[in-house]
Amino acid sequence: MNVRRILAVSERVLRQLRHDRRVLAFMLIVPSLAMILFGYSFSGEIRGIRLGVLDEDKTDLTATILESLQSNEKFHVTILPPGSDPERLLREGYQAVVRIPPKFTSLYYAHFAMGVATSAQGTLDLALDESDPQIAAAVQMGIADALMDLGEGGPVHVETRKLYGVEVRFIDSFAPAIMGMVVAFICTVLTLLSVVREKVDGTFARVWVSPVRRAEFILGYILAFGLIALVQSVLVLSIGKGVFGIVINGSLGWAFAGVILFAIGSVGLGTLLSALAETESQAILFFPLVLLPSVLLSGMMWPLQAIPALLRPLSYIVPLTYSNRLLRAVMVKGLAPWQEPFGFAGVLVFVLLTIVLASVALRQSAGERD
Amino acid sequence: MTDLAIETTELVKRFGPRTAVDHLNLLVEQGEIYGLVGPSGAGKTTVMRIVCGLTKPTAGVARLLGHAMPAERRAVEAWLGYMPQERAVYRDLTVVENLLFFGQIYGLSRAAVAERTRELLDWTRMSDHAQQRADRLSGGEKQRLSLACSLVHDPKMLVLDEPTIGLDPGLRQEFWDRFHALNQGGRTIVLSTHYIHEAERCGRVGLMARGNLVAEGRAEDLKARVAASSGIPSPDMDQVFLVLTRAATAQGDKP
Repeated sequence: MNVRRILAVSERVLRQLRHDRRVLAFMLIVPSLAMILFGYSFSGEIRGIRLGVLDEDKTDLTATILESLQSNEKFHVTILPPGSDPERLLREGYQAVVRIPPKFTSLYYAHFAMGVATSAQGTLDLALDESDPQIAAAVQMGIADALMDLGEGGPVHVETRKLYGVEVRFIDSFAPAIMGMVVAFICTVLTLLSVVREKVDGTFARVWVSPVRRAEFILGYILAFGLIALVQSVLVLSIGKGVFGIVINGSLGWAFAGVILFAIGSVGLGTLLSALAETESQAILFFPLVLLPSVLLSGMMWPLQAIPALLRPLSYIVPLTYSNRLLRAVMVKGLAPWQEPFGFAGVLVFVLLTIVLASVALRQSAGERD
Repeated sequence: MTDLAIETTELVKRFGPRTAVDHLNLLVEQGEIYGLVGPSGAGKTTVMRIVCGLTKPTAGVARLLGHAMPAERRAVEAWLGYMPQERAVYRDLTVVENLLFFGQIYGLSRAAVAERTRELLDWTRMSDHAQQRADRLSGGEKQRLSLACSLVHDPKMLVLDEPTIGLDPGLRQEFWDRFHALNQGGRTIVLSTHYIHEAERCGRVGLMARGNLVAEGRAEDLKARVAASSGIPSPDMDQVFLVLTRAATAQGDKP
């Protein structure tokens, strides 16, 4: 193993990327764009649901409920005049209408005074547009929140102890996934294209005739793309922090180390896939194969528990699944990598497996081409 | 060390049902310019790739400077300069960057590469294009860069696969002048060409067809042989190739 030759390969890869402005732009714009677009699209904040409230009781208690609903950014609340018809309002574009019937307050208190012995209970009448399940769920949650806000009076009080960071929002746990996905995707496709191009242009043959060993070749690529991965991670995290104010509870050092480790595996994967493509246009066919499972099955968008049992085994062969676990543990929970053995071991196995297979693949493409 | 630059014994290479090299016995001495001449598909590239250690033979042995290839290729890699048919330069690197990379992987320091680059650019008349990207070079310039990349580590043995393909006659002459200059500087050159008449510019040629040699020797000797056997008074190389290929086929077809 010769460090000089490894550095020569890295330097060459970086020089090539520097000369190609489009690729350079791709490397810098895609991570930024991904963070911004995914960040805005999936920030998880539903706002401005049209909610009508028909208060037929008008007591201090109902005023508190009303206030609570109005202060919730999810809702755009309209106080309805007496006699409004909830169902007609739904047809006119309201997404939900809450009717607080007369005697709501007295029944509510009676229930507490008499405990479970009475069936009389304050009941809200909710007319809900169920055509969008996410909005419907948000409405139900918002109303439950408003009732919880009644405090002492609530029938059940849930005391939540929050572990791993207070007030973690969706975006905070989403950012590590975006970082892993973007960095891995770019490292995989650029390595894939670069190696296939070496085959097509014949530079591969020149390299194999030279003293360069396969391990040196792969390490050269890893060094170059490790550096690129670091730049991209800094970019994604800066945007995450600057634009979305993401909270990083853990160490940035571990976060970058985790991303770079994952990038190394992705370089291995790109090299491995290069053995299956003879031309650059064939190589492009692999892009969706790399990207789609990562986005859909890795637990990036929704938890693994939300993936149908039939597909879930596939989640465990998607490398991003492990990277997500690792990076979330490191960034959101503030753990060290080894405190998340599932994710850490998964990423390590991914790295070792792809590097070994990449080495075998290089032997194949170097040795047996016509 | 042996005086033989290349030695193949009963060399066979099959790709599936196709036999690219068919029991080839080839001897090239050090200090020669040896041309493998023949049409496309004759097996020239495969022979060169095997000799350079890039392709494993199906059967038989290939030796380069006395070392079995590909098993012992590490022993000869520093001596070997290979120019693949595809031109094999990084299209998105400049001329100088290409030479820098190929120099560095042979262990040359930056300063040594810079020195060598100056010499080679001068020698290939490419100095004006030093900072130009390879994909913006003309075909001939790219080929000159490709040759320079094979020479950057000053190898004593050159294997050049169709180095003159696609060049205009003037440029081809220029390339041949360079090959002769390299040869006079003590380098062994084995090259392939499908321009049959280029055989006359080699010291010795091997006429290849269907994976084997149909004839071998100096161009003048082959011409004399054909003149004597066929009655053509002063045959050109095309005629020599056709007559000898036919003769070999007829002999091969005999029971």
